[in-house]
Amino acid sequence: MVVLLISLILLCPLAAFAIFGLLGLAKRSFPRQDYLSTAAMLIALVCSLLLLQEVVPDPEPHTVQWLSLGSVTFSMGFYLDSVTAIMLIVVTLVSSLVHIFSMGYMHGDPRYPRFFAFLSLFSFSMLFLVVSDNLLGIYIGWELVGLCSYLLIGFWFEKDSAADACKKAFLTTRVGDVGMFIGMMMLFTKFDTLSLYGEGGIFAQAAVQLNTGDMIWLSIAGVLIFCGAVGKSAQVPLHTWLPDAMEGPTPVSALIHAATMVAAGVYLTARMFPILTETSSLVIAYIGGITAIIAATIAIVRFDIKRVLAYSTVSQLGYMMLGIGVGSYVAGLFHLTTHAFFKALLFLGSGSVIHAFHAMHGHGHDDEHDAHGHDHDEDHGSEHVLGSEIPPDQDMRNMGGLRHKMPITFITMLIATLSISGVPFIFSGFWSKDAILAGVLGRAMEWNSVHHYLLFGMALFAAGITAFYMFRLIFMTFFGEPRNQEMHDMAHESPKSMTVPLLVLAVLSFPVVNTLWFNADYVKPPEQPHLHAPAHAHVSPDSKVGEAGLTFSLFGISEAVAAEEGADGTHGAHGDDAHHGHGPAHTIAMVLSIIVAGLGILLSWLFYHRRTLSAESVATTFRPLYTLFWHKYYFDEFYNGVLVAVTVWKSRLFAQFDGTIVDGIVNGVGTVTRDILAVFVGVFDNRIVDGLVNRVAEVTWSIGGRVRQIQTGAIQTYLFVVLAGIVLLILIFRAL
Amino acid sequence: MEFTLRTFIFYGFALTTIASALVVVTVRNIVHAAFSLMVTLFGVAGLYVFLQADFLAATQVIVYVGGILVLILFGVMMTSGRLEMRIHIERGQLLLGGVVALALLMLLLTVIANTPAWKNLTDDGTELPPTTERIGELILNGPFLLPFEVVSVLLLVALIGATLISRKEVRDE
Amino acid sequence: MTLQHYLVISAILFTLGIFAVLTRRNAISILMGIELILNSCNLNFAAFARFMTPPEDISGQIIAIFGIVLAAAEAAVFLAIILAIYREFGSIRPDEVDTLKG
Repeated sequence: MVVLLISLILLCPLAAFAIFGLLGLAKRSFPRQDYLSTAAMLIALVCSLLLLQEVVPDPEPHTVQWLSLGSVTFSMGFYLDSVTAIMLIVVTLVSSLVHIFSMGYMHGDPRYPRFFAFLSLFSFSMLFLVVSDNLLGIYIGWELVGLCSYLLIGFWFEKDSAADACKKAFLTTRVGDVGMFIGMMMLFTKFDTLSLYGEGGIFAQAAVQLNTGDMIWLSIAGVLIFCGAVGKSAQVPLHTWLPDAMEGPTPVSALIHAATMVAAGVYLTARMFPILTETSSLVIAYIGGITAIIAATIAIVRFDIKRVLAYSTVSQLGYMMLGIGVGSYVAGLFHLTTHAFFKALLFLGSGSVIHAFHAMHGHGHDDEHDAHGHDHDEDHGSEHVLGSEIPPDQDMRNMGGLRHKMPITFITMLIATLSISGVPFIFSGFWSKDAILAGVLGRAMEWNSVHHYLLFGMALFAAGITAFYMFRLIFMTFFGEPRNQEMHDMAHESPKSMTVPLLVLAVLSFPVVNTLWFNADYVKPPEQPHLHAPAHAHVSPDSKVGEAGLTFSLFGISEAVAAEEGADGTHGAHGDDAHHGHGPAHTIAMVLSIIVAGLGILLSWLFYHRRTLSAESVATTFRPLYTLFWHKYYFDEFYNGVLVAVTVWKSRLFAQFDGTIVDGIVNGVGTVTRDILAVFVGVFDNRIVDGLVNRVAEVTWSIGGRVRQIQTGAIQTYLFVVLAGIVLLILIFRAL
Repeated sequence: MEFTLRTFIFYGFALTTIASALVVVTVRNIVHAAFSLMVTLFGVAGLYVFLQADFLAATQVIVYVGGILVLILFGVMMTSGRLEMRIHIERGQLLLGGVVALALLMLLLTVIANTPAWKNLTDDGTELPPTTERIGELILNGPFLLPFEVVSVLLLVALIGATLISRKEVRDE
Repeated sequence: MTLQHYLVISAILFTLGIFAVLTRRNAISILMGIELILNSCNLNFAAFARFMTPPEDISGQIIAIFGIVLAAAEAAVFLAIILAIYREFGSIRPDEVDTLKG
């Protein structure tokens, strides 16, 4: 049953893509590729929902032997645990909604069927990545989603900026993937397998290793695999591709670059949770925290609505990494889920706004794609830092007051914003973010570690900024007076195919659907030995407390949810654990996060709605900081100025080396060969070889010439010879 | 062997035959050669008479002299266009041909002289009945009927073939 | 007049015919040589029929008659070929008709 359902989930999108591809070979396309792809996704969604029932507490991987090299066997297989099941639902659900949304958004695009085929391929790849039970399968899916991301970012490849962005995305993630591959190979060398689960799998073997204390290389391997996640999930310092990836169509941004693919890095890190050592966990946590702050601060000063969301995504992904890095496995994945929904919603909402503005470009939907194309081409001059120009339909300075024009979009985006900002109690984002904050603080208090206190501060700060810039976005877009009256007049609410997914996602931004995470029977965090390692003997030796803080926060959520759903007592069994001494951490975290979020929203309101504070004057006051944010911490400039320059310089050097030394040697050898060796060989050839051949030919010729004369062609000669022969023969026989 | 008139005439015929044949192979004018050949053929016919083959002698005269020789003369005229065409003979070829022919002649004469079965078979001069009737019976009502028919078919084929080959124009098809 | 007389005459005719065939530079002369050869053969047949078989048996003469007929057919075909060759090569000199020359 499990295998059947998973196969269906995988094969439906793949079939949708395959039909497109096969028909494409025949130079035609399925008349309604959009229906085909969407139907495939909906089937996958239904199967994913059915799969929820099939999750068992201690699952076994379903594997088949895939290929055998010498003594090593690679297997391919599925692994279905609670995390997989939930990820499947997230992916299929968001993907289905994005499919539906795209029917409206992409309507009239000349490559409309291709778009859906790519979406199907992406969905397949992502689902394959999710259900794989071994690193090889994950890696295959990993690269496939990277490919789809490349294809979809560059979907409007006529636009230079899109073409550049897709190359940038592909190459940047590739940097991380190299690290991931090396990490995989390290694990393979040590364990002789790439399977994660089961007996003889990496986790089972790693548990033994970790207990014996040989951890340095495992730390390195963990960090290297995390490199892949850094690339894919756009963590610092490889985050620069994600904002540029917004050159792709907005549904793509929602599906790939907000909800699923970028979350794959987090998912991978969570999957590798059991082999993360203390060191690698700390690295992950720091990278996550730094990413959260950097991305959030950059987001403050963006004016492009999609870039704000892109940096917000980077920031939230950093949050998830932070959560996993401090051992809050469930919190990290929980935030992944909630974030997938509300960030997809935000992106689709922004897509709706952009779509509304597109109409005013004069030619309706048919020219949407052209509108995308031309905005950029004109002013793409000397400036080469991607994304420095903002298309007018994405510039928040052109928006404002849209809440009356687009009520549904406004309401749904507001819900998502409240959720991401961490407005307490009724929004899912609050609970997931709070779970991470509580996890960090709980770890800090448990270990009394400066690192983790620092990380908690970062997370808290980032949470405040998140609230600030998200409300800035809402205020600039939907409130106030229209800044661009002409565009405002043309704006309109989007068609149903676009608003329905918005509404569905808005519902999902409430915590109702996230209860699965709260059931500790359902989601069982894997063991991570260092959490109990004696290295932290100075902390409470009670190994349970680490988990307890987490469980507590989950309980808090579950309580709230239970209250909201009107069902109570379902999680009573965990009450004891929940109140086990770490109430303070959770309470402090919750209070602090509420305060910070409130502050952020208040400041945003003062700056951008009430305008009692002037953003410009603040920017002038903190000029250097503003400049730093505006230039995105100079990451792109650094890469362009240093890495690219160094690469170019190195290439020149090598080219020179090639040109002078290698070519010189080759040419020298060539000259020697031609001028000296060739002369000898030539003489030998001409005199001896040719001489032999010619002599043979001459001899043959002369013999032939003589023999030929016998054949005079004159009958009489023949007759003469015949008669002479007869006479001679008779004479001879008589003589005998 | 007594020297009778009969013997004299025989030798006369024999010498005539051989001499005229010698003329045929040596004379340069092809028309002369042809007429000399006619004498040779007559001589052979005379020898047939001495062999008491009367029908054969008659046939020889009619077919050879009346048919083949005329045919040869026609050939001469059609191919040369003039009657006194000269025959070129090369010395070297003449010598070689002569040697071979002489060797052949020596061979044949040796065989003739040394074959015991052929010795001392003398023509006693007895008159035999005319052969024409018996030849007719043998050919048309005897064992030679089939060869006769085959030869007649052969003759027909040869005539048609000769006509076909010597036709002036070959049709385009 | 013994058998050997006839055989000697026949041998001489045959040799002369061979000589003509080998040396003459004219196709018609060669034909004449061939006729001499055929005549010598026929003469042999008649002579053997006369001397080597009973007087009643004249099969040799009939064979000679057949030989004459064959000679007639041969002459006809030969002349036809000579005409064709003459038309093709403009000559009936056998040393000039040497397409088969190697």
